[in-house]
Amino acid sequence: MVNGKLYEIIIEPRMLLVDVLRERMGLTGTKYACGTGDCGACTVLVDGKPILSCLTLAVTVRDKNILTIEGIADGNTLHPLQQAFIDNGAVQCGFCIPGMVLSAKALLEENPLPTRNEIQAGLAGNLCRCTGYVKVIDAVQAAAETAGKGGKI
Amino acid sequence: MVQKFSSVGKRLPRPDAASKVMGAAQYGADVSLPGMLIGRILRSPYPHAKIVKIDTSKAKKLAGVEAIITFEDVPKLPFTRSVMAEGFPAVAYEGENLDQYILSDKARYMGDWIAAVAAVDNYVAEEALDLIEVEYQPLPAVFDPEEAMKPGAPLVHEGYENNIAGKIEHPFSCGDVEKAFKESDYVVEFSGQNSRQKQAHLELDVAVAQWDTQGRVTIWSPCQNPHLAKKALARRVFDIGEGAVRWITPTVGGGFGARMSFGVEPVCAMLAKVTGKPVKVVVTREEDFAGWNSRTEQRQTIKIGVKKEGTIHAIKQKILSDSGAYLSHSGSITAVNMQSALGLFRSPNISGEAKIVYTNNPTSSGMRGYGNPEGAFILQQAIDMAAEKVGMDPVAFRLKNIKGVGEPSMWIPVALDSCNLEQCIKLAAEKIGWKKKWGGWGKKKEGRMRSGIGMSIMTHASGAGGFLLEHSHAIIKLNEDGTAHLTVSPCEMGQGILGALSQIAAEATGLRYEDIHVITGDTDITLFDIGSHASRSTYVIGNAVVNAGQKVRQMILERAAKKLKVFADKLDMREGRVYVQGAPEKGLGVAEISHDAIYDYGTTGQHIMAVGSFQSVSHCPNFQAGFAEIEVDTETGIIKVIKYILAHDIGRAINPQNVEGQLQGGTAQGLGYALYEDLVIDKITGNTLSDSFATYKIPSSLDIPEIEVILVEEPASSGPFGAKGVGEPGMVNVAPSIANALYDAIGVRINSLPITPEKVLSALKSKK
Repeated sequence: MVNGKLYEIIIEPRMLLVDVLRERMGLTGTKYACGTGDCGACTVLVDGKPILSCLTLAVTVRDKNILTIEGIADGNTLHPLQQAFIDNGAVQCGFCIPGMVLSAKALLEENPLPTRNEIQAGLAGNLCRCTGYVKVIDAVQAAAETAGKGGKI
Repeated sequence: MVQKFSSVGKRLPRPDAASKVMGAAQYGADVSLPGMLIGRILRSPYPHAKIVKIDTSKAKKLAGVEAIITFEDVPKLPFTRSVMAEGFPAVAYEGENLDQYILSDKARYMGDWIAAVAAVDNYVAEEALDLIEVEYQPLPAVFDPEEAMKPGAPLVHEGYENNIAGKIEHPFSCGDVEKAFKESDYVVEFSGQNSRQKQAHLELDVAVAQWDTQGRVTIWSPCQNPHLAKKALARRVFDIGEGAVRWITPTVGGGFGARMSFGVEPVCAMLAKVTGKPVKVVVTREEDFAGWNSRTEQRQTIKIGVKKEGTIHAIKQKILSDSGAYLSHSGSITAVNMQSALGLFRSPNISGEAKIVYTNNPTSSGMRGYGNPEGAFILQQAIDMAAEKVGMDPVAFRLKNIKGVGEPSMWIPVALDSCNLEQCIKLAAEKIGWKKKWGGWGKKKEGRMRSGIGMSIMTHASGAGGFLLEHSHAIIKLNEDGTAHLTVSPCEMGQGILGALSQIAAEATGLRYEDIHVITGDTDITLFDIGSHASRSTYVIGNAVVNAGQKVRQMILERAAKKLKVFADKLDMREGRVYVQGAPEKGLGVAEISHDAIYDYGTTGQHIMAVGSFQSVSHCPNFQAGFAEIEVDTETGIIKVIKYILAHDIGRAINPQNVEGQLQGGTAQGLGYALYEDLVIDKITGNTLSDSFATYKIPSSLDIPEIEVILVEEPASSGPFGAKGVGEPGMVNVAPSIANALYDAIGVRINSLPITPEKVLSALKSKK
């Protein structure tokens, strides 16, 4: 199940989840940037938990719920985190953003009103080379506050 | 008069943000064409070796392999990786050395490109690399630039005696420095070096190439200078016409100077030519780290003579740059080091020289700041040392010696017409509480944890007007519905330039920001521009956009004048609506004008559009002061940055949110440069040891201190709505201000980057 849709595909056992998502399903929003699990750009959510799709064999998640960046908006309405990233100027080159947004989503689901330090810790597995993280942290904080006022994460 | 803007100065969302948060933005690796092959590169396991024989027969037999190419198969046309070389005036600059081919017949660093494979997928391509049999004859190698210059050292390139790739006399040479040192009351000298910081953009290098039946090639690749790259690929690499190359720049996942050099495009184009199919060449993070791009390591000595009243009397600067195996940008960044470091201070006597030397290290290049952060780390510490000798406060010493309006600027000097450095220094000093926190020179601090405060200043260009090719062109075309297409050719690598140029276009035309659609990233469509580097795009391209916008606005007003039956000069336009001055209720929307101009069934049909141009003659320098407050653990040597404050002379912030983003991001890179980032190359084998994000540490979200950005907005007369550049400056002051704060905290100076705990502890130990 990817983004709420059931897929039936035949893959080789050696195929990584990131390759299956990108090459077999056309879901290129998931990014590949290191292949060693150091940068977090390939983060997707499996049953709500962030995992590194560049280190995950696709066959190991076959009966699970996979959520990628393409699946978090509600139709044409952006997810509050996506909107907050735009509004707070948290997006520069954008390559880390899909993974960053998904890690932030997992964080807010576990801890709906995190402090700045908790956000910093929650995003520590997602490297960004452009922003210096300041506006990324602002964005996550803003999204958390929106959710606290009745929005939904 | 207070100007009221509709778009400029506002925190508007950038046009590329939505597609990026949705995962819809298409980067190079996301480009996929029917029948596309995957290309991979075979790299040398030796730092210096002759290739005796290459046997590709086994690899060629592997199912799915379509082509294998070696030195034998590539054009024998030498080129340089630096595509910027095309932007240098031939008379003023000899250019970077044309010292390499698509694939090499001799390995010059561990990782040099020996052969390439095109296969049906990455798995097969990787397997084929393993099946290529190369017989190498290892040669003695040299990894130290001093050693490389000694007689008898192994020659990296034939024809470059003592491995000297280039020499530069100080561009600001004046007076008689040796005499001036004798006349000085104090002389200080400081030597040290920067590290090979890696750009470490998250998007890996990638290219897709496809030749058509007419002999034209299309390249898809992240590139900061697509028009120059187009020319270099056409003329230098393949000897074809510029018209035969189309360069498409997809969304770019970070640049930081790395995309000013050819990456895998030449080898990709070659594989596509040989196979007759589209090819995508991909690299791994390991290949990227041990590759063809990093900040150039420069060993520097700065000697400063000062008069006792605190004026700088003489400066001498010596630099030895290690270009690695190929010259790429190392020559020009060495020149920029000299210009930017000494563009700041008045000195009646200046001299200096630089040598750039080949070694068997990986190729260096330019990274954000392009020579400036390299120079600032040494110079700004030497300036503090001079202030200490004279017994002056570092703030006061700098204020006494900096240049101001009317004095010569950093590059080929022009008289400064906008300089708010003094204001930057004063504002940031006040904000960090300098007077209270800086306790004077030689103040003894006690205890395990010791706090310190330090500062640094910088100037950087807004483009290279007066020095490089610096003209730019923009097209604004009005659509029937009152929206407009803005066609420009910067490189949006994350800095927000498409938003800034849209805001400028909206302001200059009088249209709404949301009605400006940017067309970019295709050299078949855009007009010539040198691309995004040297913090130039807002200033130079922005001015071309203003020019186009003013023309379009005038055309709209003239058509509206006929409809409204008033003179055009009595009309105004704002937010997409034309109205009579003094009677705003009398007016009409721009859609009505643009639609009726095209669908004019009479004899005055018109498509409202204009080309705007700008020739930059001044590089309109920007300025900045940075202050760091740190705490040093004298038992572990760990430096914690408590607070970093910078004040930047921006002229005008077209979009303050994005300007802050540039400065915060620059500060983070500066922090990594100061404290952790180090491309470690084994001095015996030439192997790059830090070849992953696990072994090469870039700052994470946990490493970010409190960063405060102050924008000083005094419009520069030559900038678009007064704007100056901001792309690179954020990272320049961080390392030197931390180094100066460290001296304040514990009384030791560290002269090499990064400032690791080991260095701090060993300096403390030798002090005792």
